[in-house]
Amino acid sequence: MSDAKDLIEQMLNRPRRRGPSGGGPSGGGPSGGARALGPKSVLAGVAALVALWAVWSSFYTVQPEERAVIKRFGSVSGIADPGLHFKLPFGIDSVQLVATERVLKEEFGFRTQDATSDRSRFSPSGEYPDESLMLTGDLNIVQVEWVVQYRISDPVKYLYGMREPTQTLRDLSESVMRRVVGNRIGSDVLTVGRVAVANTARDEIQEAMDRYENGIRVITVELQDVVPPLRVQPAFNEVNEARQELERMINEATRQANEAIPRAEGTAKRTIAEAEGYATERVNRALGEAARFNAVLAEYRSVPDVTRSRLYLETLNQVLPKVGSVVVVQDGQLSPLPLLNLRDAQGLPRTGAPQP
Amino acid sequence: MKNPTFLVLGLALALLVTTRAAYVVDQAEQVILVQFGEPIGDVVTEPGLHWRVPFVQDVRRFDKRMLDWDGDVSQIPTLGREFIIVDTTARWRIADPLQFLRSVRDESGARTRLDDILDSAARDIVSGTELEEIVRSADWQVDVSQLADEDAAALENADLARPNKGRGQLERDMLVAASRQMPELGIELVDVRIKRINYIDSVRDQVESRMISERQSIAARFRSEGEGRSQEILGNMQRELQRISSEAERTAQEIIGKADAEATSIYGAAYAQDPAFYAFSKTLESYSTLGENITLMIDAESDFFRYLESTSSN
Repeated sequence: MSDAKDLIEQMLNRPRRRGPSGGGPSGGGPSGGARALGPKSVLAGVAALVALWAVWSSFYTVQPEERAVIKRFGSVSGIADPGLHFKLPFGIDSVQLVATERVLKEEFGFRTQDATSDRSRFSPSGEYPDESLMLTGDLNIVQVEWVVQYRISDPVKYLYGMREPTQTLRDLSESVMRRVVGNRIGSDVLTVGRVAVANTARDEIQEAMDRYENGIRVITVELQDVVPPLRVQPAFNEVNEARQELERMINEATRQANEAIPRAEGTAKRTIAEAEGYATERVNRALGEAARFNAVLAEYRSVPDVTRSRLYLETLNQVLPKVGSVVVVQDGQLSPLPLLNLRDAQGLPRTGAPQP
Repeated sequence: MKNPTFLVLGLALALLVTTRAAYVVDQAEQVILVQFGEPIGDVVTEPGLHWRVPFVQDVRRFDKRMLDWDGDVSQIPTLGREFIIVDTTARWRIADPLQFLRSVRDESGARTRLDDILDSAARDIVSGTELEEIVRSADWQVDVSQLADEDAAALENADLARPNKGRGQLERDMLVAASRQMPELGIELVDVRIKRINYIDSVRDQVESRMISERQSIAARFRSEGEGRSQEILGNMQRELQRISSEAERTAQEIIGKADAEATSIYGAAYAQDPAFYAFSKTLESYSTLGENITLMIDAESDFFRYLESTSSN
């Protein structure tokens, strides 16, 4: 090793010397450079540069969310945890950092456009119809937007199992989602089937990833918007409105019934009460009249003839002043009191002469 | 002065020879050595530092990892003559680099061959299959009773049969068909999958229109169901009202009848003591209730007339 003074000198002179003579050991410029410092100095300078490179290239830092895959001559020799590490320099050891702890995600049918502000903004629904439109088992169309969250669980497999694991994840997710959705009825996917679809998709994607041994662990598959195609949505809304209408009509009829029936029940009670009132009155009247009759009868029985005549005459005195005319019928068969006929009789031919 | 120069030159030469003789096989790679265009020795799959004859042997590197193939989107008619858009994807790897080198030379060569083979496999399978078969899978199982009423109703006429093969089997068929030609390319096909199936635009419009009319018919059914239920409730209400009022009426009549009967029996008991007197007094009572200015029609033989005569002669 050369001393420090030489080294500094070498470094100070380097930019000036570089152009014409070349820095590499194989270059070995014969003229100016050699004359100025001598071959020993050249060698020392080269050695110092190499040493610097060696020091520089033998450190590496692994961030907390990462793991480092170390390769010696291209062959994987180990995995390093977060922290500062040493390796062999000169490209003998090379390091690839893989963010194993970070949760990564792939979006399908939409893209988060600006995740930095407080509220993520998403691209409008249906922006990526190629990804989001799919056929359901009843050959209808639904628009499904979803997210696959995953982690790289095995960095070595992730790097060396497949060349494009992320693209494979995307392709597989689309394929699996279409299979799962295609295996169900459209209205099922749109309503109650969401959770089952997401879970089945996650399991199947994971299964494929395991088969490919690409070190990807799917954490969740989350369905976002699952809606009918844009053009069909108004018709779906119409169904909802009609359902509301149905409820409204039932409610209205029920309200009407609820109004009318208690009222009718009240009316019924009233009718019965009135009947009871009538009954009480009728019976009481009967009792009263019977009592009166009994009383009069008792007196009548004591002196029947006189009483009879008296009653008769009293009544006549009472009635006659009011009588306008009297018709006497000689051999009539009229009942004693055909009142209505009496009144009508004014317009009829009379069978007898009026009496005063 | 001469010695160091030779030393430097010698070192440089040694380094050059060493770098030309040594080569690194990456974890992701496999290597074939080629000498004057002719492959030499076995495939080097072991990653690490390896040696070769410098300046003579060339290194051909091939990816050892599983590779992705994404086909072009193609329009294919199904057995039912619906045109659909099919997008397939496949995983493959270079299984036999020697064969691979001989037959397709490199990956871009392999991809064009894969395009041809997989596209034709997809076409063959899809065009011989009903659309339902491609969309549904072998574990297809639909329980219409689980669905909401209107959705179940919309499916009344739909064909919900389980597919004979289903998507998974069709994909396997494609894999088998395509794999037949793979050994001569040195390629192993890991799987073939249908990535996307969609209707072509014109068919999509029709399907959407069908979905719209389907929903509209469901909506119409809801509305008329609402009408019907409303009428039913109102009808029940009417029946109930009539029951209530008629029952009340019946009860009222029963009460009235009972009272009338009781009254009749009371009257009967009282008046039966002297029916003649009753008739007499009742007659008189009736006369006394006559109104003003009336005409009396009297039998000349009647008591009334007799009394009348006697009173008027008074």
